[in-house]
Amino acid sequence: MSAFLAAGPNLGRGGIGAWLAGLSPAGKAGVLAVEVVVMLVVWQLVVGVFGWINPVFLPPPTAIAQGFVELVAGGMLWPNMLISAQAWLIGFAVAAVIAIPIGLLMGSSLPMDRVVGPIAWTIYATPTIAYQPLAKAWFGFGIGPVIFLVAVSALFPILLNVAAGMRTTNASIIRAGQVYGASRTQLYRSVYLPSTVPFLFAGLRQAVVLATIGMVVAELAGSASGMGALIIKAANTYQTDQAFAAIAIVVAWSVGMTQVVTLVERWAAPWTRKGRR
Amino acid sequence: MTTTSIERNEAGAPLISVRDLSVSYDVARTGKRLTAIEGVDLDVHEGEFITVLGPSGCGKTTFMNVVAGLVKPTTGTVLVGGSPVTGPGPDRAVVFQDYALLPWRTVFDNVKFGLEMQKELKGAGWRERVQEAIELVGLAGFEQSYPRELSGGMQQRVGLARAIVAEPRILLMDEPLGAVDALTREVMRDEIEKLMAATGKTVLFITHSIEEAILLGDRIVVFKSHPGAIKEIIETGLERPRSERSIQHDPRFLELRDHLWDALQGEATAAAVSK
Repeated sequence: MSAFLAAGPNLGRGGIGAWLAGLSPAGKAGVLAVEVVVMLVVWQLVVGVFGWINPVFLPPPTAIAQGFVELVAGGMLWPNMLISAQAWLIGFAVAAVIAIPIGLLMGSSLPMDRVVGPIAWTIYATPTIAYQPLAKAWFGFGIGPVIFLVAVSALFPILLNVAAGMRTTNASIIRAGQVYGASRTQLYRSVYLPSTVPFLFAGLRQAVVLATIGMVVAELAGSASGMGALIIKAANTYQTDQAFAAIAIVVAWSVGMTQVVTLVERWAAPWTRKGRR
Repeated sequence: MTTTSIERNEAGAPLISVRDLSVSYDVARTGKRLTAIEGVDLDVHEGEFITVLGPSGCGKTTFMNVVAGLVKPTTGTVLVGGSPVTGPGPDRAVVFQDYALLPWRTVFDNVKFGLEMQKELKGAGWRERVQEAIELVGLAGFEQSYPRELSGGMQQRVGLARAIVAEPRILLMDEPLGAVDALTREVMRDEIEKLMAATGKTVLFITHSIEEAILLGDRIVVFKSHPGAIKEIIETGLERPRSERSIQHDPRFLELRDHLWDALQGEATAAAVSK
């Protein structure tokens, strides 16, 4: 044990770490696939075959797949998915449009940071679910409160990351800009903004996950449609297989949108792309 | 090429003229006033290669920043080409210890940065100038690479190319080889020596390496600390072209090295004790 600790974290220097680091993208995907399959098989064995856990509480993967088929066949999946995706996309876009300029202002002006910063952190620190009843009161029972909670959830990670990116622009690069005669405008355009880009994408990635949580929270209570409503309806009628199927779709959405952000980052900010490793 | 520094010094008015320069500032944390440099006098003539040698914390970088126009003098004057320095200008370019390249720009776009900021991209031939500078520092073929794909030595070559492409009269180098590995450092010293001899630029080169100061300098300005001030100025008087190998056994080099070693040892000890 002590020898293991003394060796420090395994960051691809040898053994299995080095083997993993040396894999091609296809190889890495293969490893992930094996991991998922092993997990599913164990799950199936524990619940479905040995029956160690009551399948009502945790349905086995095959039952969840069946639940998925039931949702599709019953015509419940597509309408709810569409309404959720719509609310999510609108809320996320609203958040980005508001957060990016305010974040840039906060990052470039200390007074602005002092005024907006504490408010932003306070709202960010408040659990999304606390806004849920208010959102209903303000926006009724349609798509409105969902959009609101998605936007509130996504806003602050984007805003605070952009502000941090702006503020932490390498002082040495700023000096280089000054030495080579950059005007104030040039300094913002050529130094501060590009240096903030990786932070923007880090913020967007966090925002994807939080926006999805906000969406489900908004739909869980008092909503007639959306993935959250689907989950709660299925769970209330003990159709846990359907509930899990709906949860899996929400997770897939969240992971998928994170990947979309990463792809956009690779295209928009090629210099952040990791080298061959 | 074999012009000695003594002949250079006799020519005309100095390009850089520093008189009674002091820089001090308030330290917010302790509420004390800190004197970075005090009473610095120095004349640098066109084409001279000045190395500034001193222990860390002696104010040599502050001194360079004043000449660069990044730090305002508290008292005293700095004239470049006869006019007082009020800020950075196209007549001065800086090579930074940590390279200070823009990570989001390729080598080519980093090198053109200076020209771009000075709005010199309109005229014809700027592409050729950028390409020429890249080739001059030995980076042909790496134009489209990003800085993080390059070694430290190569990144500093980009820093050098960015500085010379703007054709400044004065090159300010702040420990440019301080962050580069030992082997690359020796190779690059020789290259800087050749490059500067070929372009005839006036150079202010900050270092804490004695060998580097002797190899590159026409004159060595030795700084002392607490407060930072000039301790002495020494003519190297070594023939050019020089190289790491050619001066190794030169008696003048050995003499200078011993002298500077003694001078700095006292300073370094004093600095260590006062900290």
